[in-house]
Amino acid sequence: MKLGLHTILLRATSTMLVAALAVSACTSTTTPPGASTAPSAAAAGPVSGGTVTIPIGADPTLNPWSPNAFVESLFINRAIFEGLTKPGKDLAPAADLAQSWTVAPDGLSWTFKLRSGVKWSDGKPFTADDVAFTFNDIVLKPDLGAQNRASYAAVKSVTVVDPTTVRFDLTRKFAALASFLAYNAGILPKHVLSANPLTTTTFNKGIPVSTGPFKVEKYTSGQSVSLVPNENYFGPKPFLDKVVFTVVADPNTQVAQALSGDLQIMILDNKAAVDRMKSAAGLVVVARPLVQYYWLSLNQTDSRFTDVRVRQAFVHAIDRQAIIKSVELGYGSIANSPITPALAAYYDPSLASKYPYDPAKATELLKAAGWTPGANGVLQKDGKPFQFTMDVGQRGVLEPVNALIQQDLKKVGVVVDLNTMEWNSYIQKDVVRREYTATVNWWTYPSDPDVFPYYHSSAAGKGFNIPGYQDPKLDDLLVQGQSASDLESRKAVYKQLQQYTSEVLPYLFLWYPQEIDVLSSSLKGVPELGLRDAMHYIGEWWLAKK
Amino acid sequence: MAAPAVARFLFQRVALGALVIVFASALTFFFVNLAPGGPASVMRFDVTAEQREALIKRMGLDKPVTQRYVEWVTGAARGDFGTSLLTDEPVTQRIGERLPNTLMLAGAAFVLSVLLGIPIGLIQALRRGSPLDHVLSFLSAVGLAVPVFWLGIVLILIFSVSLHVLPSAGVTGITTDTLFDRAQHLVLPAVVLASTVLPTIVRYMRSAAIEVLHEDYIRTAESKGLGPRLVVTRHVLRNALVPVVSALGALVPRLLGGAVVTEAVFSWPGLGRLALEAAQGRDYPLITGLTVVAAAIAVGTTLLVDVAYTRIDPRVRVA
Repeated sequence: MKLGLHTILLRATSTMLVAALAVSACTSTTTPPGASTAPSAAAAGPVSGGTVTIPIGADPTLNPWSPNAFVESLFINRAIFEGLTKPGKDLAPAADLAQSWTVAPDGLSWTFKLRSGVKWSDGKPFTADDVAFTFNDIVLKPDLGAQNRASYAAVKSVTVVDPTTVRFDLTRKFAALASFLAYNAGILPKHVLSANPLTTTTFNKGIPVSTGPFKVEKYTSGQSVSLVPNENYFGPKPFLDKVVFTVVADPNTQVAQALSGDLQIMILDNKAAVDRMKSAAGLVVVARPLVQYYWLSLNQTDSRFTDVRVRQAFVHAIDRQAIIKSVELGYGSIANSPITPALAAYYDPSLASKYPYDPAKATELLKAAGWTPGANGVLQKDGKPFQFTMDVGQRGVLEPVNALIQQDLKKVGVVVDLNTMEWNSYIQKDVVRREYTATVNWWTYPSDPDVFPYYHSSAAGKGFNIPGYQDPKLDDLLVQGQSASDLESRKAVYKQLQQYTSEVLPYLFLWYPQEIDVLSSSLKGVPELGLRDAMHYIGEWWLAKK
Repeated sequence: MAAPAVARFLFQRVALGALVIVFASALTFFFVNLAPGGPASVMRFDVTAEQREALIKRMGLDKPVTQRYVEWVTGAARGDFGTSLLTDEPVTQRIGERLPNTLMLAGAAFVLSVLLGIPIGLIQALRRGSPLDHVLSFLSAVGLAVPVFWLGIVLILIFSVSLHVLPSAGVTGITTDTLFDRAQHLVLPAVVLASTVLPTIVRYMRSAAIEVLHEDYIRTAESKGLGPRLVVTRHVLRNALVPVVSALGALVPRLLGGAVVTEAVFSWPGLGRLALEAAQGRDYPLITGLTVVAAAIAVGTTLLVDVAYTRIDPRVRVA
């Protein structure tokens, strides 16, 4: 009840704010969506000093493996904890606590050479024992329920070879290991957490011991977490004096705070405010790539949806460009496979135009599948109308998107009833119990084309394969992708995978969104990555003197 | 009133209040457990069934709900409200961190409403039917109709974004924490929260004062030559306050309800925002703990009002 009210209030607030902002907007720049308006490097080099304030939606949990480390925790955890690898500025895995790695010829073990001389923020030395502890005693312990544990299903164990070398032994080939280790896989200190790795409150909600360029100075529940430079950091001293993560739950208040100059960088969730942000003095708006795509899942236990012609017809019937234009204000592109344009090395742009908006073609395909119009215009087969319920989770843009899809499908004679649900209930019904017919949602995944967990038959019904799609040919491609060791052979496999998934449509691919970041014009050195990825480079950020 | 009578009265009221609180906690605990979803399903979308099961076990949610409630009540009797399912912190600690902020916000809003509402209502009663009365009545009606979140956003746009005179969110500044700084941060949310009860106080005061103005003792006082100021302060105000004070007690729960929205808009780290987080995350022990605190505040306020009632109106006696 409270949630429903909250959602209604936030939505109403959003509408009101947008209206108010529209009135207050005097001018609007004409920067096209996707064009980078990143602040150009200042003529002078980086200078030290200053505080950068970043909003987060709720209190964070300062432990990347905690099951409670929700999205708001990612920002801070990426600034203070380091993994063996981190996302490079090209999104490929780059060295972090590991300075190099090698894969055994059989592909079943990876050896990581760790950086030497690294210390924890409390001055204790960082060693291979910490890496083995993080994986063997946390990630691989099923009863702890560690966040992202599923990404390491192929890891058998981690062995300390010597104080600066660890070996990951695998149960099967796993080419994406280095990429996965770059995402929310921070190494935790064994000497602090060995007794209680995931629920130590003084660590998770206090001052954790970490290895990053910044360390936590103060955690004030419900208000803020402030970071200061870590004097034990192995790399160059960061430029900023302080980074403050301020808890601002309401996206509209975040907008107001950015406009009043209280925030230096933020993700703009409320895209309706983008023009106002562009016209504000001292702010810069940039579009960033995201490894994310929206999809429509049709439950494969429903015989109507096992016919590929029906799935293809639906993609033709949905005006995805109109969705991108109205819901994302143009910040996105049509998706036809799970590999996003952000993964430039793998993305196949030729598929973008595969399913143009074509209701006539959709009708033709549905007719071929045996669906013909009844007296009321609704498609029928064996005397039954083509009608089903689509569950709608109350989050982000899902509600308007579902309404648009409902209208588009109605135009080709398919009746969709929308069942809007509070998010927690939705997850329980559609994801945990799989009691649904159709639903729209999105996937965000590490910057690697390995999408095995979302498409493999073994994940149908209980894992992340939400539609429950099972296809031996697709399974084979997914395994090939994990087994291919060099870039060229991986490219070849994932190109095939993109073409195949675009043909058989395990999920109906909708669009690849972009992230809109708002930055203070004096903030420099932020790489052109999504903000959460850019947090890995916070040591390079600096504030130009005004 | 005699001391034993007061003691008996207080004991009865406190015992009744305790019963109300226990009942509220039971109702909340069982209802919130009936709600679809659960703390383990609010976890990220991409959590496996195996991880969910591990979490359910770790949180103790595999036990029957009655057993969990009995455990909760047993703990609560000892002052232990359990552990937050989402943060692993003691519930008492989470509430303790936020309670002062809500008390400060609600207290400021309450004082503001009383300080403004009573004089405005009184003025309206004394100028009944005048243009001023009509304007103030209209503003009261508008005040009742305007949604809290809308008013909050509008005030932020005016005072924070356009005029840059007041902060838009939080309790203190990023690097500052002085009394002045806190007061500055309090202004907008307190005004917004006050708007939820101010019109009601004005209306109560207006009607109560109008009623009193028609009483014979007012005419008697006037005919005895008592000046208008003394008539108002000694007779009208004192007698009109009796029903208003009893209404003030009933406004406290409304103030707490308004705090949920106000705290969300202004990122005010109080109980209201904590309640939203708890509800979203199905944090059963935290939700129940918050209910107990809210019920205790409501019960305590009612008791205070009853005591104040006997002080303001000498005719009211403890039975």
